[in-house]
Amino acid sequence: MTRGIEDLVSADATLVSRRAFTDEAVYKIEKERIFGRAWLYLAHESELKASGDFVTTYMGETPVIVARGPDGRINASVNSCTHRGVAVCHVERGHASRFICPYHNWTFGMDGRLLAIPQQGKIERPVDKARLGLRQVPRVESYAGLIFGSFDPDVAPLEQYLGNMRFYLDNYFARFADGVEVVGAPHKWRLAANWKLPVENQLGDVGHGPFLHGAVLGGRDAIAEIEAYGFNMVPEPGHGAAIRLLPPETPLASRMWGSENGSASAFSAETQAFLLDTQRQMEDRLGSVHARIKGLTYGVYPNFSFLWANSTIRVSHPRGPGKVEYWSWWVVPAGAPESVKRELQGVYNGFFGPGGLLEQEDSDAWAQQYAGSAIDYMDDHPYYYGLGAGEEEVHPLLPGVAGSCYNEHYARQFYLRWQRDIAEGAAR
Amino acid sequence: MEQQHAIEQFYYREARMLDDRRFLAWLELLTEDVRYVIPTRHIRLGHLPARGGDEFHLVERELGGAEEAALREDRLPLLTIRAKRALAPNAWAENPPARTRRFITNVEIEDDDACAGEVRVLSNFMLSYSRHGADNHLYSGQRQDRLRRSEDGFRIAERRIVLDWNVVTAPTLALFF
Repeated sequence: MTRGIEDLVSADATLVSRRAFTDEAVYKIEKERIFGRAWLYLAHESELKASGDFVTTYMGETPVIVARGPDGRINASVNSCTHRGVAVCHVERGHASRFICPYHNWTFGMDGRLLAIPQQGKIERPVDKARLGLRQVPRVESYAGLIFGSFDPDVAPLEQYLGNMRFYLDNYFARFADGVEVVGAPHKWRLAANWKLPVENQLGDVGHGPFLHGAVLGGRDAIAEIEAYGFNMVPEPGHGAAIRLLPPETPLASRMWGSENGSASAFSAETQAFLLDTQRQMEDRLGSVHARIKGLTYGVYPNFSFLWANSTIRVSHPRGPGKVEYWSWWVVPAGAPESVKRELQGVYNGFFGPGGLLEQEDSDAWAQQYAGSAIDYMDDHPYYYGLGAGEEEVHPLLPGVAGSCYNEHYARQFYLRWQRDIAEGAAR
Repeated sequence: MEQQHAIEQFYYREARMLDDRRFLAWLELLTEDVRYVIPTRHIRLGHLPARGGDEFHLVERELGGAEEAALREDRLPLLTIRAKRALAPNAWAENPPARTRRFITNVEIEDDDACAGEVRVLSNFMLSYSRHGADNHLYSGQRQDRLRRSEDGFRIAERRIVLDWNVVTAPTLALFF
């Protein structure tokens, strides 16, 4: 066991050791006790509409195929042949009736069952195919179209795991009458950073916006709005939702999704009408608190993030302590006309993704934070996460614990849960 | 031959302009209606109806279509923001700036439409990128350009950049290729 693992996070989590991001031994424990147990985002149901539809992804570093099987149920299988370990699927997504391992052509169904061993006819002793299916992810559950999986058969049900986070997920994912749709395969890029750094940023680090992104966001009304009405919510320890709760008298056009930075006025009349109509319908359906909420960034423990305004789901796939493969999906209202979707596209890829105006700066900052975390002789200089400590409180309208937009309690609660998971895992 | 030479010279000047970080001068090489696109590049199985033929593994099928969010889908306003931002002191991903070197090869005139005053040109690029100390990267890909003739030379009306990566392994795609 790693010595001093219980000291990586101080009791009130205002201090987090740099080694939490760089230590190989800590990373091994994370893979076992966090990525081996937590609910991890797999895919969106809109990507798997019909039996035979599949996508490939990772749970931590473990490659998995997520597919809608012949019975219509969504399942997840580890993408590794049970014969010699070769991946049975080498593409990102598609529609198929079976997966064939290239090496000896063992053939698996869309539910991971072993269908055929081509060599079997030439040997005499029977092989029990029922025992040789692809390794199944034991728990696969969905919430609001978001499919998660866990390697822990005893993990709490997803709805319970999400807890109060469901309220904030609903605010986006239940907003559109026809639901949402993930379009295309994700953007994927490598970052020279620890997996927790992008996660932490999107749990609630609105505080970096006016500074790191000063050249783009400096002086914008959006910053004033966040400072006036912004909250860092901790729905449950480890999850986060940075939002704005606008005054009830805010005009419809200023509180609707799609109205960031006055961008809505640049849209066509058709798109503006769609956004207004969507907002009206949402307010009728979800009620007066949701009507006042404009989201910013969300995080579901451990490595799922969502950017509300920019409509993108992201997952921070670890690749060792110092590498991340970051995946980013564009999400659209399923019922929107094509022309509206085209106009909304720039709200995502103009700012986010590997070529985005803002994400370019975030990516560089995370890599530099990782470099800072790896400096020697700095064990006595942990990172300070104390901004706003003790100022968080229960809010009458918003589920969870509320802090101001610069309160770092979202990170404190994340690292406390993280510390508990890696320390307590040993006792299980 | 003359046309080929003129286009090559245009590309070399453009590459030098970008390597010399004269981004505002580079903006002058774009048309008002410029489209600047980097599609995603997917990993897909071959197209079964075309098995046995060159169409089976068509590159075009690996590129994200119009309905998908491209890695970049820039018009002049966004390109202008990028160029100006790169010259701002608080643009933390650009200051200090990257050291870049662009190599443009395989320049091939695909179609010369004299009536429209436009030339479709393919070229390959390599871009060497170095910013933090020894953290050096090499980009490679193809550019599919539509160049428009103007009184004082060519203007870029469209550039589509076909990267050779599925997972982007360099630190940023917020560059001019």
